[in-house]
Amino acid sequence: MMRDAPDFAKYLAVHSDGLTKRYGETLAVDRLDLDIPTGEFFGLLGPNGSGKTTTLHMLSTLVRPTSGQAIVAGYDIGRRGVKVRGAIGVVFQDSALDRTLSVWENLRFAGMLAGLSRSVIRERASELLDLFGLHDQFDQPVGSLSGGMRRAVDIARGVIHRPQILFLDEPTIGLDLPNRKKIWRFIERLRAQTGMTVLLTTHYLEEAADCNRVAFIRKGRIVKSGAPQVLIDGLGNHVIEIEGDKLDGIVNELKGPLGDPILEEDRASFRFSGSPAELAALQASLSPRVTGVKVRRPNLNDVFLWVTGTDAISRRPGERGVRAAR
Amino acid sequence: MNYRPVIAVVQREVLKLFRQRSRLLSAMIRPLIWLLVIGAGFDAMLGRTGADSYKYFLVPGVIGMAMLFGAMLAALSTVYDKESGVMRMLVIAPFEHYWIVIAKVLGAAIAGIIQAVLLLVLLAILGYLGIEIRWGVLLLALVMTALACASLGILTAAWTPTLDNYAVIMNLVIFPVFFLSGSLYPVAQLPDVLRTIATVNPYTYAVDLLKHANLSMTGPGFTPDFSVTTDVAVLGAFVLVATVVACLRFSQESRYSVLIHVLARKGGD
Repeated sequence: MMRDAPDFAKYLAVHSDGLTKRYGETLAVDRLDLDIPTGEFFGLLGPNGSGKTTTLHMLSTLVRPTSGQAIVAGYDIGRRGVKVRGAIGVVFQDSALDRTLSVWENLRFAGMLAGLSRSVIRERASELLDLFGLHDQFDQPVGSLSGGMRRAVDIARGVIHRPQILFLDEPTIGLDLPNRKKIWRFIERLRAQTGMTVLLTTHYLEEAADCNRVAFIRKGRIVKSGAPQVLIDGLGNHVIEIEGDKLDGIVNELKGPLGDPILEEDRASFRFSGSPAELAALQASLSPRVTGVKVRRPNLNDVFLWVTGTDAISRRPGERGVRAAR
Repeated sequence: MNYRPVIAVVQREVLKLFRQRSRLLSAMIRPLIWLLVIGAGFDAMLGRTGADSYKYFLVPGVIGMAMLFGAMLAALSTVYDKESGVMRMLVIAPFEHYWIVIAKVLGAAIAGIIQAVLLLVLLAILGYLGIEIRWGVLLLALVMTALACASLGILTAAWTPTLDNYAVIMNLVIFPVFFLSGSLYPVAQLPDVLRTIATVNPYTYAVDLLKHANLSMTGPGFTPDFSVTTDVAVLGAFVLVATVVACLRFSQESRYSVLIHVLARKGGD
């Protein structure tokens, strides 16, 4: 059993040790080890069903782990649930707002639940709505707001009590691009203003590029972690996408020098780290043999594809998840 | 535990009550139909008039009815809170989860009392109330009845996964509780089987306590069946047991409900 460690919270906002959740036969989260330093913007990335939400629910004390422990803001999630909940803010995948009440009534409700006085709530609500450009919506019923505005209000709801740590579960899911960008600006502003630790989950990997550090989770396990740029640079300088009907020959030819490709139906993607001259030469030699060659910069999506793609090939039974430490 | 979360829940309950005008309106009309239509119909059939008439007998019963429906429905909104997601705000708040149950019971009871008081005002205007009301007993009866109905509601809510079962709850909980009490007839005059059922129905004691309040001019046949002490003791015990059971059930369930909800709708993650 882990002890509470308030001093810990100065350095580590979240620390988990072998955190596991099993639902019947399904292993939702598998011996997850996580260390998130205080003040960090951390992204937990992975496809739907990989265990991100379950992890978040365990860390926010709403789901009891099957085994393993975690300390959040210096408190054990198993024994000090109330203390943990007082130190965190959670924005769930689905809205937690009451659509029949106004924006102000929702924020007041959330603030009072956190034990704040009316005047403090009023001050912070108006501060947050200013920050998010929603001041005119103060008295409007939440049900009448657009999806993007509702999400922004839900985020305001999650931080009205100024938590040390903010958990954001897919904050931009279901929103269109302009609104997604807006939500990111709000989160940036919040972080700049409060310096709070943010733990984000998303499956839009390109959105996690601003994180200090990300961890890729797959089938409940962390398969790779690190700073986004370091991970991207580690992949190579370029990604070469080759399109054509009969790629088998080319794939076998390039596999040796360039490493395992990501194969889709009529497309093969390779990593490339050579010089611009070498790249041009390769492009020239490939062009006549295929229908298309595309060269682009790698991104976090590629990191994930190669991690999970090659992981499936090279993983041995019983191998333990990679520890997500600095 | 800070008192503010409890006030927040109560405030939201009252706010919603006054915002849903149709709910408030039907809460007034339902008892009035019993009183003005059924009461008058039976009086005509039995040829009764004046202080002895059936419609005066019905007065405590319909006040109880306002609270039975009002407080129970307010408590059942807990199920709606789970469905709509508002429950997430409550389960993530920094207090033990049993406080959600306690706050909901208080909020629902207050919503019930408000509806009963509004109905009392209407009945006073319509001339159904007598002049010898025992105010102390009335206050006690309102509070105890509302709490009993609210805790019955929260107990039902704790075992109700979705509001699709709403009609089932109406037919299996609310109506039997209402009909198998002393609301429509003196318990003492019931046939044996029904009298036994009415005696174990806690709501019987709520209506009985309301009868003690002497709301209308009570005729000779309309005396309460039990003593005030018995009524208060039974109701108090029921409120305590029901709330504790709901708290236990809820603190087990709330750990899973959020996730199960997401799983059910998203099919993963």
